[in-house]
Amino acid sequence: MKVDPVLSVRGLQVSFAGAEGPVPAVRGVDLDVWPDEVLGIVGESGSGKSVTALAIAGLLAGNAQVRGSVFVDGQDVVRASPDELRRLRAERIGFIFQDPTTTLNPLMTVGRQVTEGQVAAGRLARGEAGARAAALLREVDIADPVGRAGQYPHQFSGGMRQRAVIAMAMAGRPRLIIADEPTTALDVTVQAQILSVLARRQAETGAAVILITHDLGVVAEVAHRVAVMYGGRVVETGPVRDIFRNPRHPYTAALLNSIPRLDRADSRLDPIPGQPPMPAELPSGCAFEPRCALGRGQLVCRASDPPLEPQGPAQRAACHFAGEAAAPVRAAARAAEPRPEPTAEPLLIVDDLRVHYPIRAGVLRRTVGHVRAVDGVSLSVRPGETVSLVGESGCGKTTTGRAVMGLVKTAGGRILFDGQALGGLGPAGWRKARRHMQYIFQDPYSSLNPVKPVGEVVAEPLRIHGVYEALGGARYVAGLFERVGLSPRVMERYPREFSGGQKQRIGIARALALQPRLLILDEPVAALDVSIQAQIVNLLQDLQQDLGLAYLFIAHDLSVVRHISDRVAVMYLGRIVEEGPKDAIYERPMHPYTQSLLSAVPTPDPDARRHRIVLEGEIPNPASPPTGCTFHPRCFRADERCAREAPAFVPVPGEATRAACHYPGPLAGAPAGEATSLEAAS
Amino acid sequence: MISYLLRRILQLLPVLLIASVLVWGMIYAVPGNPVAVMVGENASAEQVAAETARLGLDRPVAVQYAAWLGSALRGDLGASIHSREPVLKLIGERLPATLQLAALATLLALALGIPVALAGAVAPNSWLDRLLSGWSALALGVPTFWLGILLILLFAVELRWLPSASGYVAFWDAPLQTLRNTALPALTLAVYVSGIFARFLRASLITELNADYVRTARAKGLPERTVVMRHALRNALLPFITIVGIMTASFIGGAVVTESVFTYPGIGRLLIQAISSRDYPLIQGCILVILGIYVAINVVVDLVYAYVDPRIEYS
Amino acid sequence: MRLPRRILAFAGRLLSQPGPLASVLFLVGLALLAAFADRLGIDPLAQDIAASLEGPSAAHWFGTDELGRDIGARVIHGARTSLITAAGAVLIAGAVGVPIGLVAGFFGGWRDAALMRAVDVLMALPGILLAMALIAVIGRSQSAALVAVGITGIPSFARVTRAQVLSLRKRDFVTAVEAFGGTPGYNMFRTVLPNAWSPILVQVVVLSSVAILLEAALAFLGVGIPPPTPSWGEMLRTGKSYLHDAPHYAVLPGLVLTVTILAFDTLGRGMTRLLEDRDSGASGLKLEQASR
Repeated sequence: MKVDPVLSVRGLQVSFAGAEGPVPAVRGVDLDVWPDEVLGIVGESGSGKSVTALAIAGLLAGNAQVRGSVFVDGQDVVRASPDELRRLRAERIGFIFQDPTTTLNPLMTVGRQVTEGQVAAGRLARGEAGARAAALLREVDIADPVGRAGQYPHQFSGGMRQRAVIAMAMAGRPRLIIADEPTTALDVTVQAQILSVLARRQAETGAAVILITHDLGVVAEVAHRVAVMYGGRVVETGPVRDIFRNPRHPYTAALLNSIPRLDRADSRLDPIPGQPPMPAELPSGCAFEPRCALGRGQLVCRASDPPLEPQGPAQRAACHFAGEAAAPVRAAARAAEPRPEPTAEPLLIVDDLRVHYPIRAGVLRRTVGHVRAVDGVSLSVRPGETVSLVGESGCGKTTTGRAVMGLVKTAGGRILFDGQALGGLGPAGWRKARRHMQYIFQDPYSSLNPVKPVGEVVAEPLRIHGVYEALGGARYVAGLFERVGLSPRVMERYPREFSGGQKQRIGIARALALQPRLLILDEPVAALDVSIQAQIVNLLQDLQQDLGLAYLFIAHDLSVVRHISDRVAVMYLGRIVEEGPKDAIYERPMHPYTQSLLSAVPTPDPDARRHRIVLEGEIPNPASPPTGCTFHPRCFRADERCAREAPAFVPVPGEATRAACHYPGPLAGAPAGEATSLEAAS
Repeated sequence: MISYLLRRILQLLPVLLIASVLVWGMIYAVPGNPVAVMVGENASAEQVAAETARLGLDRPVAVQYAAWLGSALRGDLGASIHSREPVLKLIGERLPATLQLAALATLLALALGIPVALAGAVAPNSWLDRLLSGWSALALGVPTFWLGILLILLFAVELRWLPSASGYVAFWDAPLQTLRNTALPALTLAVYVSGIFARFLRASLITELNADYVRTARAKGLPERTVVMRHALRNALLPFITIVGIMTASFIGGAVVTESVFTYPGIGRLLIQAISSRDYPLIQGCILVILGIYVAINVVVDLVYAYVDPRIEYS
Repeated sequence: MRLPRRILAFAGRLLSQPGPLASVLFLVGLALLAAFADRLGIDPLAQDIAASLEGPSAAHWFGTDELGRDIGARVIHGARTSLITAAGAVLIAGAVGVPIGLVAGFFGGWRDAALMRAVDVLMALPGILLAMALIAVIGRSQSAALVAVGITGIPSFARVTRAQVLSLRKRDFVTAVEAFGGTPGYNMFRTVLPNAWSPILVQVVVLSSVAILLEAALAFLGVGIPPPTPSWGEMLRTGKSYLHDAPHYAVLPGLVLTVTILAFDTLGRGMTRLLEDRDSGASGLKLEQASR
């Protein structure tokens, strides 16, 4: 490539003023991005990837110290005056942020927000701004762009807002686009839409793109080149295929091994031990040394931070043992025992469960209707079995779990636990039933009482049920800590002294305290870093095997679900649309929604870039669901019958699954996805 | 939007209703026979009985309340025990002075408070911000009656620029005279409230300036001035509207102390006089009118919200 | 219990800042003076008409009033009135307001609606008017002033507690207690309340200054604590009549009142700032703060 890079970063260092001296967030980063190229930056929390992105656009706050050089299109960002910086942002850099619910000003019309930067920079006449805004919105596939430009952000759905943010970033025809976790806050089917819009606009404009993400699947699908960051440095960089096929840095290799895969049915993950370092407490030498299978304890790794050096024609890695990392070091995996098909009587039976929330409106706040958050869900869980509920946000999977736990009122249906109906129980009866049924929360930061030492947190259920002494008191609690891989010495500490993964272990210990038979796990790994997820998933599997626990596993991450489940139920708008044994659901899905959902998940394999069914539109408002089959407006198989009558949830003839669809069937070789342009309520 | 407004008004109604019961009932909470208090210590038993019957105090309690509320709603708040004049007329004479003072004080407080908040929020923890925060604390901490005294000492006693006691002149008749008369009391009230305004607006501006959409605005290359004024300030002013409403409402009647310092003829001083002379119909009337104005200002605040916040129509 | 250790640590960090430290020193000094006022050998009631309305001097640091009484002595005894009224009023306001906010926020629904509408009624009148109306009913005395001021403080406690409880109610660790079988009562008192103390404590400080101000204002209007009990507001009221001849009479007691209120305010702001720092997770690097 003889062309000059659009972005050239050399020796970038960023530190923030901290209570005990400067905290290094970025420690010497070199990057180049050329026109018409997508560079993916991958890293976990604290890796410095977002700070790098903000530094490139000169968007860091005043308390940040920036050293090194950043050139965008020949313009020096680090030494630019505020005026030059503003012009640079208006003309050459477009920035796409993570959370579309907060990145737009709620008090200004979307159209004005899309173009105001260009108007302020004098590149667009005020009188032409309206037309230009509509044109930009049309380019990101927003229907009725003229009308939409005059609306406010709250009138947009999440995916549409992110489209508008992309339109805004494109408004100045920038040479460089920085997208910081642009799809992390979105559902997987919407993520697929946004990624394809982004890719199309990039190709149309020939811009250089930096895509920052923690999701290796997204990188594999979208990026041309990859930079892997860890502890404030780029530890490995190279073409996407080389990074995924032949990682030279032990961190890259370990990360690839630790993630569950949609396209594989491993029985055991290889987690990376420990946790990513905080910028304030980096280890000396190589930041990855304490967690590294190759370098842990090696003198050279502790003594010096290795430079980023060429490994082969296009790849570079920062490791003293870069050559040896190529063969991924597999941790000794506990042999997976073949799981017998459980035949025991179900422990939990949910039959036609309904949860309705009233919609109040009008002057007197009268109930005018109901949101059917859960609308006739039936499922069962046997002892020792994992049943997963998957679906996108708002599908009712969490509400289902909470209703089983008695945390929300049900509007109908039965819940049987161990043969006993829970519906008619009074408060005392519920309390007794709950001893055998425990809940694990998504957010470990919010689920532990901050004013109690963690030993007390774990002991609290025992005390409430008055069995603390009977079960062995402090010694028993210490045993629970060991059971989840924590030292009992930490029992005196407070929750805030622990990392997310450790907190989730404490939450699990608390759930185990009353020796339950069923755990309801609500997205137990979704809030954790990728490398920590594997640790928790393995722990859950070990516990299930040792204690014979039944799991009702609620998640949106289809890869994790495939890894952990025996059976899977897919939910859409309060109903289960397909249910069956794990392999049947993943290998031979029958329901069009399952099929599109699976095809929308990015695979961490650059060679697997497949044809994908991109669903139109987004999940409809559950307050006014579509008629007939609620999926029909987005479905590629729907006809007028689907709009008219709701399908029954019945076994698919000759298949292992049950589905609620008039036209169930395997996906044809040439996917019907071509015919996806059914207009949706967008 | 209409339904939103109606709903807000409906929420205020029970407040008014309960308050009216309390105001009406306060007369029964007074130790001893209130009628005897009203008629005077030397009145005979016959006089007390006659007055009791005249006031309808011998009827059942619920009937009394209904009759009282009915006439109150028709604008009949009874007559003052002392002057025998209709309560509404007495209040009507004082209300313009109070409203005039409240309006001027609110304007002054906004003029003093908003710039202080802006200057501090754009550079939090700078020396200027610390200085201005100190000023806000001082403005809040100085009791209005002491500040009033200091202002009188300075402007009336020492410099002899402004009167220490002020009568009421309608603004439209003599604007300059009005300003001279209300300048000191308005300033006294405004200094205190500007402290509240500055502190609240500074905090909400700092929150907004750290919001994601402000980062977006900066990322598209807007000048900092536009980022602050067009994006952050407009959002920060939304919750501020409520505060301005509450403060303006508190000037109506809540300015008793200031009115008393400057012997200003507002509704607050009327109330003090009524309390010290145990003129119960007048006390009730004053409180009802003040409550009514409180409710009216709340409705105005809601109207303003519905106008400036595009999200309300749909919520 | 763990709470005392946490409170001690919090107090340590608070007092390491100059503003709150100075405020606490001043307030403690004032409280000590007020507590031992009787043993200082100064008499707030001793009259000496010959030496009326004298300016500050070695014998009378704050000068004398229209009856020749020592203003300094009256300020110190007035501090006792102020602090007792404030403490009693805050106690009443907290004892009524915190449970209201706790129940309203924790249970929601009709309990919330009913309790908060009742609180709204108290809010509809400016505090000074509410206190005056109450005094008009119950008569004029020290306990009347205390109760009246206390009642005006109920809404702030109720609202602050309710807001805090509402945000805690949504947190998973509260749901968790419900999930493993804790009763609502256990959850409310053992889980929610121990997590809600910090804003309530700030409110105690804030309301103390409001109560002192209100008590003084009532006395200034002539409806507070009846004379001859020394009261700052009463002194300002009388002093105002002698502005020409003896400006010190109104100015000096007002100064002490102002400094007291500023001290409470500084303390309250210091506490709020510390709590905000803690809640936003001062440890570790937060991107929200890093970006601009």
